[in-house]
This record gives sequence, C-alpha cells and structure tokens, in this order.
Amino acid sequence: MIYDKPRFLPGGDRYLLVEFGDEMNLELNFMGQSLAQAVADNGIGGVIETAPCFASMLVHYEPEEISFRDLETELMGLVGALGPAEDIELDSRLFYFPAVYCDPWTKGAVDDYRAKIADKEPDPEFVARLNGLKDVDQFVRVHSGTEYWVASLGFWPGLPFMMALDPRCRLTAPKYNPPRTWTPKGTVGMGGASTCIYPVATPGGYQIFGRTPVPIWDTEKRFPQFETSICLFRPGDRVKFVPCDLDLYQHVEAQVADGSYQYNVVEYQKFSVRNYQAWVDELDAGARF
Amino acid sequence: MIEVVKQGLETSVQDWPGRLGYWNQGFPPSGPMDSWSFRLANVLVGNEPGAAGLECQYVGPTLKFRRGGVIAVTGADMQPKLDGTAIPMWESVAVTHGQTLELSFAKTGARGYIAVAGAVATEPWLGSRSTFHKAGVGGMDGHALQAGQVVPVGEGNGAVGRKIKDGAKPIIPADRRWSIEVVAGPNDDWIDAAGHRRFLNSDWKLSSKSDRTGFRLDGPDWTFTAKATNKAPEHGSEPSNIIDQGYPCGAINLAGQTPIILLNDGPSMGGFINPYTVPWGAFWKLGQSKPGDIFRFKTVSVEEAQALAHELREICSERSVVT
Repeated sequence: MIYDKPRFLPGGDRYLLVEFGDEMNLELNFMGQSLAQAVADNGIGGVIETAPCFASMLVHYEPEEISFRDLETELMGLVGALGPAEDIELDSRLFYFPAVYCDPWTKGAVDDYRAKIADKEPDPEFVARLNGLKDVDQFVRVHSGTEYWVASLGFWPGLPFMMALDPRCRLTAPKYNPPRTWTPKGTVGMGGASTCIYPVATPGGYQIFGRTPVPIWDTEKRFPQFETSICLFRPGDRVKFVPCDLDLYQHVEAQVADGSYQYNVVEYQKFSVRNYQAWVDELDAGARF
Repeated sequence: MIEVVKQGLETSVQDWPGRLGYWNQGFPPSGPMDSWSFRLANVLVGNEPGAAGLECQYVGPTLKFRRGGVIAVTGADMQPKLDGTAIPMWESVAVTHGQTLELSFAKTGARGYIAVAGAVATEPWLGSRSTFHKAGVGGMDGHALQAGQVVPVGEGNGAVGRKIKDGAKPIIPADRRWSIEVVAGPNDDWIDAAGHRRFLNSDWKLSSKSDRTGFRLDGPDWTFTAKATNKAPEHGSEPSNIIDQGYPCGAINLAGQTPIILLNDGPSMGGFINPYTVPWGAFWKLGQSKPGDIFRFKTVSVEEAQALAHELREICSERSVVT
C-alpha cells in the first residue's frame, strides 16, 4: 500500500528513513526521487545527503545543525508541496546499452555455481518458466522490450537498481540462496522485480543471463561521462538494452579498450509521471512481446 | 614523507568524517573506525581533529621518517617503539630524519592510530583522503599501505610533550565485554516483543567473519511480527527481507538470522531489515573490539545518541590536552 502520510523512522543519531509505502510501485520511487530533488532545491540546513530507494528515501543529517523533529517537520512540508504524484516531472537521460543475452560468460558463472555450490535450473530457463513464458527466446524479447528506470544506486558503488517501465515486460525472480561467489563484470541480472548491471566482478544474488561491454564504472575516468563521478548512472536515468551478437559485443569491447567508444545517450527528455501513467493505462498489462 | 618499511596487517590512510555526500551512488563514508582515538591523535600534533592519518589494524606497521616532525600514537596499545626504544602513547613525540617507528600487535584493543603534524597529504578523492579498500579508491592507490611506498606528509608545526588527560581517553575493557548503545529503528516493528528482549538481554559474540564493511554477530535466533511473516511477495521470501531500502551507517542489518553491524565501508542499500542502529558516538567501541569479544546492547533515544556524539566532539579538542 501507499501510506496516506509517509512514515519518518530514526536510524541511529544521524539518519532518518522516509517510508512512502510498503509495495513495489514506481509511484513510490517517483515520490522518493522528487523529494530528494526538493530537498536539494530547498537546501534544508543540516542535511548532508539523501538516498532515494524503491519505496523510501534515506536522509543523512548533522544533528548539531538540525534535530530529528525539525527535520521531520521540514520534510513533511516538502512532501505536502510535492502535490499529487502525477504532477511530478524528472530530468531523465536515456542510455542505449548493447547486451548479449545468454552469453558464454554468465553461463560459465552459472555452470560453476551449479558444479561447486548448488545445482539449479540455468538462470534464463528458470526465469522464463517462473514467469510463464514460452521459452528463452521469448524471455529475451520481454526482458529487452522495455526501458528500465534507475530507481537507485547501491550495494556496490554505481550499481543501478532498475525497474521495467513497460508493464508488458515486468518479470520477477527469486534471489540465489546461497549467493554466488562471483559474477562477471558487466553482467545483466534480475532479482525480485529489479534488474541490475554489475559494475565490476563481485559476488551476487540475482539470476544472471546477459552481459554488456559498456562500462558503468570507471576509476580512471577515460570517458567524458565519468568527469564528475566514477559512476555512470544517476537515479532517474533510463536504460534500454539492445540485444546484440558476440561480434558486436567484441566490436564495442575493442572500442572501449582503445577509448573510441561513444556512449549512446539521449539527454533532452523529461520524464512526466502523468504522461507515463496515461500510456500505461492504455496498455493491456497481460500482453507479452 | 614517510617510507613504509613493513606494512602491518592492514594500515590505511583515513580522515574524519570521511567521504560524505555520495551515499546515493553507493559510496560509504569510510574513515577511522575509532574516531575518538583518531581525532585525539590529530589534536596532539596540532592538526584539525579530522585531518588524514593512519589506521593500523591488529598489527601495526614499521615506518621510516624521511623528514623530522612531530607524531602521536593513540588507540589500541601496539607497543610503539622509536629506533627500538618504547615511546609513550597519547602524547606528542618528536621524530628526526631517518628514525624508524615500529608498532607491533595490539595488546589491548584492535586499532591503533598514528597522526603526524601537517597530516598525511595523499590526493583526496571525492573530497576525502579515506581509503575505501573494496572499490580501490582514496588513500594510497586505493588500498592498504604496502612496504616500499612513500606516504606524503604536509607541512606542520607540532609541539612536543602534549598529553591527553586520563579521563579523556577511551577505555577498552580488559574482560573484552562491551556495552554498546543502540537506537531502535528504522525497522524495529518487524521484531516481536520476545525478539527485542532476546536481543537486549543476550551476549552477542563478534564473529571472525568481520571487517570494515560489517561485523557479524553470533547469538540467539530472532522472532518476528506479522509485518515480517505476512507481507507482499515483492519484499522477498525470508522474514527479514524487505523491499530494498537505504541503510544507515551503523545499522544492525538482519540477513536471515545473522545480525551484521554495517560499518564505515558498508553497503548503502539492500533488501534486509535494520531493527536497530548503532549511533556514531558508539562506533569507537566497534573499532576497538576483536573477534571473540562479547557485545551487550542497551537502547538509548535519538536525542541521547546525539548527545553522545556531541560529548565526543567536545572531548576531541584542545580541552583534553595537558602540556
């Protein structure tokens, strides 16, 4: 559900968690992101940083400058001024990412897990079956058929937690239990209703089924997109996976290696919740690609 | 300039309060785990309390000074020696060009701190010199010090013979039992009354599977309210699963049945509940505890937790110095 009034929960002496509801609903993330924007625009004294997530937003504050109660009052005022969720408009870049689905690298990681840790159904087949899809080919069509909304970053610096914007492409998947000890860099995976890209080789718990050669994390700042941060994404960005074959993957990989790769990103759009919801309302949510 | 002769177990450049402002990209604050001892070391040598210095874990380094100056060693007792002769801790000491400082294993506590007048002058990254090992950023080349490296030091004029008053130093319990403050929340309503009683009235043993990311605790099982056991499926299948949320630094994060205290290098978000949070004013206790130590938790209010940090801020100042 979406709460009538957000809950303000303490996290020790210097954090406050604003909880908007307790379900996976894009509207809650839009509220979190626009509240984060409102906090930045209004410059509440004593707020160090905010971190919106799926259904909540964490605030880190300096208690020497503002009390928990005063912060709660300030935030409540901003929530009230946000108005209805459908009025929200957010700056949103769109990134096109080539991705090989059912690639040899994630298959290798899954096979290694099945051999050494726990046997399981291979991830693409497993997710396809759980979601009632005909086969892995349809899974690839459905997973790549939508833009993904970057709801938040975390777990590892720069790792995007993304949600499918097109309801015809919503999928769910359980997490690994126990977790995987390694995942190739650039792996595309999903857990719960969220899709992610692994910025570097790390352990992980999502079902994995694809790989992109495009870096989303760069300590050396070799590309202009990393000038202000080593993380590519910001909350509110969108990602579209473009299925590709191994030849294109290797072509892009070589461009990344020699520094000639051009990020395919569109930067002129605003995301309107009203327009989005009007579009969603016209769709047949039961349809699949 | 300081030459690293022996690196110690894990010696890293840190500053306080670390790398703030990047939590929404997943970057933790890092910084010294016992910021009480760390800040006092800086105060002794005339630096700002948060200036960059060295954190030494369990076994300290051997360092050769390529320039004379003033240093102070605080925190865990790593039996510091200068050219083979014991030097006092909690006191500013002169070093001359070519002298060697040797720290050995921590007799009490876990983390020793070395401040040098002028402060460590590595390149800041995202506004902080703190080392974040996991991502390989900050500090010296993003990782713990390695033998053969040379650590740059800024210009500074420290005074020798400045000491910390006895009452102003952190006390590390000899019986290795710690009483640690916690604030209930943000997800305390997922735990039932019996679960809360068990958490607050049981011994929790610090597991060896612990690092600057998180401290795992061994203890009794948790029990839950209906919020945890009867919830929308998108939260996840375990009672301690919740829709991914931001994590406070210091959160006691319940992964299945294992509580993990998320520390200076911890994750910014994830899909487990945080029934309690350790306030920053109590972090120094975590920084000085070793695997096998016993924790008991006691609840304090948000305001009491804030007063604790305020009091520490007051202590970590000129007020605590005698000459």
